[in-house]
Amino acid sequence: MQRRPALALLALIFGIPALHAAEPVWSERVVGTPLSRAEALELPLHSLRERGEALFVGKFTTGDGRGRPMATQAIIPTKRRREAQEGWQRLSGPDAGACASCHNEPGVGGAGDFAANAFVSEGFSSHDFDTTDPQFSNERGTNHLFGAGLIELLAREMTATLHAQRREALRAARAGNAPVDIALRAKDVAFGTLTAHPDGSVDIGAVEGVDPDLVVRPFSQKGVMTSLRQFTINAANAHHGMQATERYGARWTGAGDYDEDGVADELGEGDITALTVFQAMLPAPVAMTPENPDWIAAARRGAARFETFGCAACHRPALPLENAVFADPGPYDMAGTLRGDERSALSVDLAAYLREAGVERDDSGRWLIPLFGDLKRHRIADAQVAALGNELLAQRFVAADVFMTGELWGVADTAPYGHRGDFDTLDAVIRAHGGAGRQARDAYADAPEAARGDVIAYLRTLTVAP
Amino acid sequence: MRALALLALLTVPAQAADIPRMVEETASGIDQIYGGPWEFFVGGGAAAFDCNGDRLPDLAVAGGANPARLYINRSDPGGALRFEAVPLGLDDRLSTRVTGFYPLDIDDDGHRDLVVLREGRNMLLRGDGACGFTPANTRWSFDGGRAWTTAFAAQWERGAAHPTLAFGNYVDRSAPGSPWGTCEDGVLLRPQGDDADSDAPDYSDPFALTPGHCALSMLFTDWNNSGEPSLRITNDRQYHLEGEDQLWRIPPTRAPRRYTRGDGWARLKIWGMGIAEADLDADGRPEYAITSMGDTKLQALDAEAETDGPTYTDLAYARGATAHRPHTGGDHRPSTGWHAEFADFNNDALLDLYIAKGNVEAMPAFAAFDPDTLLLGSWDDTFVEVGEAAGIALDRKGRGAAVADFNLDGALDLVVVNRGDPVTVFRNAGRSEAGRLGNWLMVELSQGGGNRDAIGARISARIGNRTLERRVAVGGGHASGRIGWVHLGMGVAERARVRVRWPDGDWSHPYEVFANNFVLIERGEPSVRYWYPPEASAGPAR
Repeated sequence: MQRRPALALLALIFGIPALHAAEPVWSERVVGTPLSRAEALELPLHSLRERGEALFVGKFTTGDGRGRPMATQAIIPTKRRREAQEGWQRLSGPDAGACASCHNEPGVGGAGDFAANAFVSEGFSSHDFDTTDPQFSNERGTNHLFGAGLIELLAREMTATLHAQRREALRAARAGNAPVDIALRAKDVAFGTLTAHPDGSVDIGAVEGVDPDLVVRPFSQKGVMTSLRQFTINAANAHHGMQATERYGARWTGAGDYDEDGVADELGEGDITALTVFQAMLPAPVAMTPENPDWIAAARRGAARFETFGCAACHRPALPLENAVFADPGPYDMAGTLRGDERSALSVDLAAYLREAGVERDDSGRWLIPLFGDLKRHRIADAQVAALGNELLAQRFVAADVFMTGELWGVADTAPYGHRGDFDTLDAVIRAHGGAGRQARDAYADAPEAARGDVIAYLRTLTVAP
Repeated sequence: MRALALLALLTVPAQAADIPRMVEETASGIDQIYGGPWEFFVGGGAAAFDCNGDRLPDLAVAGGANPARLYINRSDPGGALRFEAVPLGLDDRLSTRVTGFYPLDIDDDGHRDLVVLREGRNMLLRGDGACGFTPANTRWSFDGGRAWTTAFAAQWERGAAHPTLAFGNYVDRSAPGSPWGTCEDGVLLRPQGDDADSDAPDYSDPFALTPGHCALSMLFTDWNNSGEPSLRITNDRQYHLEGEDQLWRIPPTRAPRRYTRGDGWARLKIWGMGIAEADLDADGRPEYAITSMGDTKLQALDAEAETDGPTYTDLAYARGATAHRPHTGGDHRPSTGWHAEFADFNNDALLDLYIAKGNVEAMPAFAAFDPDTLLLGSWDDTFVEVGEAAGIALDRKGRGAAVADFNLDGALDLVVVNRGDPVTVFRNAGRSEAGRLGNWLMVELSQGGGNRDAIGARISARIGNRTLERRVAVGGGHASGRIGWVHLGMGVAERARVRVRWPDGDWSHPYEVFANNFVLIERGEPSVRYWYPPEASAGPAR
């Protein structure tokens, strides 16, 4: 409510249909007139970001098109077999009025408590479920989005590197008329091996931690979403029943009002742009320096133990970023999410935010993004330590016990932990690591209590904001 | 709420789907013209196939009275379509009077061969894997006959090492009373003493498909999902007023037998020119588009029929697929349809229907300006004409055609053989507005033990709750065949689970594949291999 006068003023100043531009001030709608891409590009960046924030925190109403009585939560437009009986459904959705209903700790764009867990289902044959039985959905905690723009930029650069390696291997195989094996590696993260054959084919059986198309998909606990833009479109439909025109509009469904809720073209390309920009510009988490000297000392020791225990093998303290300019649309999205060559790009330079946050650069001038992750998927359960392997459903070809390494920046402010939020302490979630995390977990578990405490002290400095 | 919903529906554009921008490539290097006297009023086909192992579709194009031509595809990935003419391997006498081409690997040597339909002796050409061809009629004990051949289809019968070939013939000009009522019989050629170790199949024992009713297209099709394809033939009533379309049962090891009224087969009496099949509703029982003069037919098995025989109902009117008149220009006389092919030109995961059109020559009762048709499939199961908007509505007499991704960019291109005019080459340049089309997938199948290209296989791709079906076939269209990449438009789907029903009926396990990729599926392998085109020698055209 507090934002409305400012947004109305925005509309007056720029002549752009921002929120409620054609609405009375007491309107219960959030979106107002959907924003086109062209309109979005005419807005000053701060205005676009502000509209994105308003869409992120605003609780969508049926006037906006909230609800999807005849559509499922699926990322491919999918009709329900019969009309939904209720406008809200806590499990199969729609389950939230706003993005910020769940992404709110320690602030807008943040993570969510266990109460904010989502129930993830592909939304095809078993889209309608009213049970938490894991055979119907995977229950997931809410990740925070701070630094998400930087995460996407890192993933794009890694994808470009992997594609270049594949291209070079194919070139060599064709030129030499012999198979060429290469070790895939991006930002010093290994992704297995690939064999290129002289006929132009590649064997992908030994590729690890990334999809066979070598696109690093950094978002979701599973690492199956390419971009903030794609994630936004998916989530808006699944959680709010707000359908983006670029996926659910007439171009791909033959209908303007695909979910048959009486509102056509609910979120314009400009709205998704605004939401994307807002999330991309969320500040990167910054580690805090404790005031307590004992904590400082323990954290310093903990940082070293984090390395020696092997935690840093996957939770890389930093990955280098060449270019901090975030372009929307991105280069690796597919049809159904606005693609790079469909509309002129909007560029947002995130370097100022990095400077402001005191992010360091290496000798090559690359930003050392302190994400504490490797943007790679790993098997995280084994026969003895299986607590994190508690899902039944594979998601988008990724096995049930395989997850993207959770980025630890901001971890101090975003309990509970684990993909379902099963663990209320850092100690507990570390002990739950099996599979690829087993060795580090064992080193931690076998260490003296004081050494374990040092690691916790270190992790407790990884706040969203100091 | 309902009023709002109605309002929303009314505001949706009539044609919201992407219209592919088909750009005519005038410098493609293909300069072929199909021409000649009455014998070449029909025919005019092309074969799209990879003859040199680079996985780019090459082209063989009939010329009628002009020599047939072979073109090697020199296109850069995503670039302009470029072809280089090379010798076909037929002497001057045999390279003329060619009506059409179909490609397939007859001798199981891993190289695609060519079936050459002619007005006169048909030819089988043995490929060497480098786009070199040599006549193999003698080697394969194939007579070739003297008929005026206008249709062809092939299949591997169960357990066979080599294909069964079917030829459809047109008017027997030597018969008394010709041309009226003097249609020549077709022939079915099964490999004799079929020896898997032999690279020389023996086609010395033809079986006459009598009566012939002037066939212009034929197709082996598993119409009832039995695993035993039948031979569907569309016939031209022009020269056989008592003729009708035919469906032949082809039981392995037994003689073919026509389906009759008693089997449920109903008379279809049209100027049948071309056949296309597609399983539009993914029920395992394909639908058929059959071109004619006037209405195109869109046949589906009649769910209300009293028997489980081949009783069909025509959906063309209800689905908007009659294409019975020119869709642009002022000529309102009926159209003349020829090549038909279902394909997804805009990658929206809905099959479209391309129909080549053009007056036979100067038939006054039929449209003189009769541009080709592109019917875009819609979400309500109807088709919408976009031929003009797509850019293919030229003033030419279309005959055969080849629909393939010639520049390996995931969008289907189109080559049309025209009577009396140069071949037209259209590059699919994507969405009419700026931007790319939907997601896509290209699949290549291979298996051992004969029939390496898995002719007769079914590809079933699951995206969300929908199933996309494709069948690998050699036959149909109008004197034109294709082999190689199987294209699937995937709309907004990023992934698919693909299963293959191999020609012997065995189903594969599901292969999980990502969109916008070329995937190789080799029978028995646990996973697919991805394939990447060679890098462009210059920048892409778009």
